[in-house]
Amino acid sequence: MIGGTLVTLLAQGPIPADMGGVTLAHYLVVSAVMFVLGLVGFMVRRNLIIMFLCTELMFQAAGIALIAFSRFHMNHTGQTFVIFVLTVAAAEAAMALALVVLLFRRKETLDGAAWRELKG
Amino acid sequence: MEHLISPVLLYGACAIGALGVLVALPRERLTPAVFGAILLAGAFGALVLGLGFAAPDQVPNFHFYIFSLIALLASLRVISHPRPIYSALYFILTILAACGLYLILSAEFLAFALIIVYAGAILITYLFVIMLATEGPTADQVEALNEYDRVAREPVLAAGAGFIVLAALTTLLVGGSTGLKADPRLMPGDTRLAVMPQKVNDSLRAAGLIKGDEGVIHIEKERRWGITPRRDGNGTLYVADKNGLGASTRLIPQAQWPADLRLSNTEGVAFSLIDGHPGAIEIAGVILLMAMLGAVVLARKKVELDEAAKAQAQRHARLDEPDVAGVTR
Repeated sequence: MIGGTLVTLLAQGPIPADMGGVTLAHYLVVSAVMFVLGLVGFMVRRNLIIMFLCTELMFQAAGIALIAFSRFHMNHTGQTFVIFVLTVAAAEAAMALALVVLLFRRKETLDGAAWRELKG
Repeated sequence: MEHLISPVLLYGACAIGALGVLVALPRERLTPAVFGAILLAGAFGALVLGLGFAAPDQVPNFHFYIFSLIALLASLRVISHPRPIYSALYFILTILAACGLYLILSAEFLAFALIIVYAGAILITYLFVIMLATEGPTADQVEALNEYDRVAREPVLAAGAGFIVLAALTTLLVGGSTGLKADPRLMPGDTRLAVMPQKVNDSLRAAGLIKGDEGVIHIEKERRWGITPRRDGNGTLYVADKNGLGASTRLIPQAQWPADLRLSNTEGVAFSLIDGHPGAIEIAGVILLMAMLGAVVLARKKVELDEAAKAQAQRHARLDEPDVAGVTR
């Protein structure tokens, strides 16, 4: 059944596949919940790597909202924007992980609280 | 303001969700995260059911439920699992479920791009760094977890603050009109077909609508191809043989166009990206280049050589040159 649905979704009919009866609000709720989970994770976790993983979770939630709006308005700009979100996420991952490796070499710990003196 | 679902249900679901996250977060005394997951799933189900009752003619199909539930439960595990490796693996699951949602939204190109770039490249980098930057297990404590992974920082405050944000967000979301369904008659950017005469020709020929030396004509005066798709489906398409505009010119209304004669998702994204945002592509390229340089500079390990090591390195360098080695022998 899922396979059949995928085929109809991927088929290039004269009219794009219906949103499956799901309204925009459903997708926005999923996106909001996922964003808040990422936010809570960023505040709660003390491991630097997991904190950056939680920012990726927030990027992902924003992506779902963008794609849902793109489908709702029948406009590809939202999807284009997700490509740029991907770019930013990749750049952020590269920089953040380099930073984490550097910090780990200094103090042999991933605890964010170990760098408390940076608060200034 | 007309509410899609009642505020009592909305804020109740947010509070239950906050409780679920709180239970699932790692504490000193490990609580089973399953309870938190069940609470969160219940809260999310209440929210979505509320939305469904608000607009009974727009009941979501069950693929949406499956994918969104997997995505949310996996993201709960991302923030609650005490072992970083498992967090990263659950994040991959989140991305796969999100790709399912993308497919339902007919964004095929991005669904697969996301799997390749996110799950394939970015998360593998994360896994590498997690393995690189973790203290190895000692002989007596193989299963030891770090203290900063076992104990959450301010879980009550964070869960409370997070779900106040969620309540505010969802209040704005569902406080609008009920008619949120997209108009399926709208066609995304099919006017772009006018700049793709080869695709139109191939499609028409495959469908048997044009034969021989006929083709879609180029209207010189208007400097475009003879294709006018319309959003209401009443567009036209001019076909002529190799003699150009004349008696042989005929017209194919949009109702007779073959089913594959429309802008595919990939083509639409490509036009939007290359045609609509060329400057942003350049900026993205510069950002990626700078990120690469920055990562190299940051993660580079400076090796200090003392005098003896420097001399030895020089000696090695001289011996490695082939002509010098050849003459001395």
